[in-house]
Amino acid sequence: MAKSKEELFRELSESVVEMEEERTVKVAEEVVRQGEDAYEAIEKGLSHGMERAGQLFEEEEYFIPELLMCSDAMYAGLDVLKPHLKRTGEKKGRVVIGVIEGDTHDIGKNMVRIMLETGGFEVTDLGRDVPPRRFVDTAKEIDADIIALSTLMTTTMDGMGKVVKILEEEQIRAGFKVMVGGGPISPGFAKRIGADGYAVNAAEAVKVAKRLLEGVGGVQVVA
Amino acid sequence: MSSTSPRERLVRVLQKKSIDRPPVICTGGMMNAAIVDVMETTGHTLPAGHGDAGLMAEIATDVHRATGFENIGIPFCMTVEAEVLGSEINFGSLECEPKIEREPFPSVRQVEFRDISGMLKSGRIGTVVEAANNLSRRHPDQPVIGSLTGPISTAAAIVDPVTFLKELRKDPEGAHRVLSYVSDLLVAFAQELVDNGATLIAIGDPTATGEILGPRIFGDFAVPYLNRVIDAVHGMGAPVIVHICGKLQAVKGSIPLIRGDAISTDALVNLKLLKEEFPQLVTMGNVSTFLLEMGEADKVARQTGQLVRDGVDIIAPACGLSTSSRLENIQAMTGVVKS
Repeated sequence: MAKSKEELFRELSESVVEMEEERTVKVAEEVVRQGEDAYEAIEKGLSHGMERAGQLFEEEEYFIPELLMCSDAMYAGLDVLKPHLKRTGEKKGRVVIGVIEGDTHDIGKNMVRIMLETGGFEVTDLGRDVPPRRFVDTAKEIDADIIALSTLMTTTMDGMGKVVKILEEEQIRAGFKVMVGGGPISPGFAKRIGADGYAVNAAEAVKVAKRLLEGVGGVQVVA
Repeated sequence: MSSTSPRERLVRVLQKKSIDRPPVICTGGMMNAAIVDVMETTGHTLPAGHGDAGLMAEIATDVHRATGFENIGIPFCMTVEAEVLGSEINFGSLECEPKIEREPFPSVRQVEFRDISGMLKSGRIGTVVEAANNLSRRHPDQPVIGSLTGPISTAAAIVDPVTFLKELRKDPEGAHRVLSYVSDLLVAFAQELVDNGATLIAIGDPTATGEILGPRIFGDFAVPYLNRVIDAVHGMGAPVIVHICGKLQAVKGSIPLIRGDAISTDALVNLKLLKEEFPQLVTMGNVSTFLLEMGEADKVARQTGQLVRDGVDIIAPACGLSTSSRLENIQAMTGVVKS
């Protein structure tokens, strides 16, 4: 007997949280076979699972290795479902994301990217070790709404301020929201360099991004 | 005049013996103090000094003299081990530290295990060892610190780091094999350093943090290999300082299990409380590197003075220094401890 779509979505979510890539693929295939809506399956299954994983991460139940495996499971499911997406989901906004020059850690940034993507954002990922200038150039090129900067190293925090400075020098600061995050970054630092938003982790980054697009001003501290 | 040499003072504190005041040091490696302010005045510069033993020794001496840190610390990067193990290195610039350009192995199963003794003669291991030899003879009163990149960070610098972190769960056996191999190289490198006059070994392992790994993986994968290196260095008769990045909360249970002679921590950690919780620990830290770069000298001095009053055993920067840290601030930090 075919499972109800609610059951399937629950199982998708579950298999993502449990880091079970193969099971996620199987359930996603089942969703397609039964002709359920792919967008709904992503939202209520995969994204939901990833959100729960993010929650467990916040609660320090899960750490980076677990989160990475959840995201692998999610991506594997996404690969199955994507071709069946109807063009209904309206885009929330465009984001340029990357790790500041001098830092080759990109785990946190990858998580933020995944969360933003599943949250409906169109994300251009510049990777790691990115010079400040490239963030600005790319943001102009793709007409981004948000520039998201990440670093894990105190030694590279300067670069974040530089991005804001370049935007100011070119008098295009108002055209973009800048959000920052990463291990050594504090809300105070975000404020000092003139960023619009700060997020303490990947799940919060999505909330901050959404609020930034809604036009709520000032440094938004989401602890 | 004090009769205690900086070398004696540091060694004594690591042996939990009484001292007149805490030493103020900066280990090199992850905590590299070769700042632009110093190099610009001396003309001994990086990146050239990363691969030239003579120049490395000059820069280490310049840094020691200009900053007031009571030690000599080499090398000035965290890429020596990974390079020898096959990673491609970008040597950076005067301001930018070397980094891994590309990890050679996509997964732990693909790591090529090579002969350790052969590797000791390759890359820049010889450069660092020769500099240690030169420096220990030139500065007999100063502790010469040979800095190593910890096992987890080195492994994540030769295997794609995202894959490596997943494999700590997915393929624990394969991950253990790589960590064991990496640890063997670290032990052999440490042996060369100690044989050539290094007073002690410092290990920085920035990928091995509670926030990244969580308590279980930290306990299963970080602690045993750190201890393997530490035990081996102890066997050589040298002490070991271990720096743990990030918040300690998630891995607190593991801290007393690390057999190093001192634990150095990030600025986020309250060392006074840590000492209260684990009175047996020799603590080191943790002057904010943010303050050293952006702050005012008097604020640096105040924070440093508080750490001394809190009974922190060794005063040091909390993490990797920015190369654009202000010399004036570092001098304020070392000055307060000595006054």
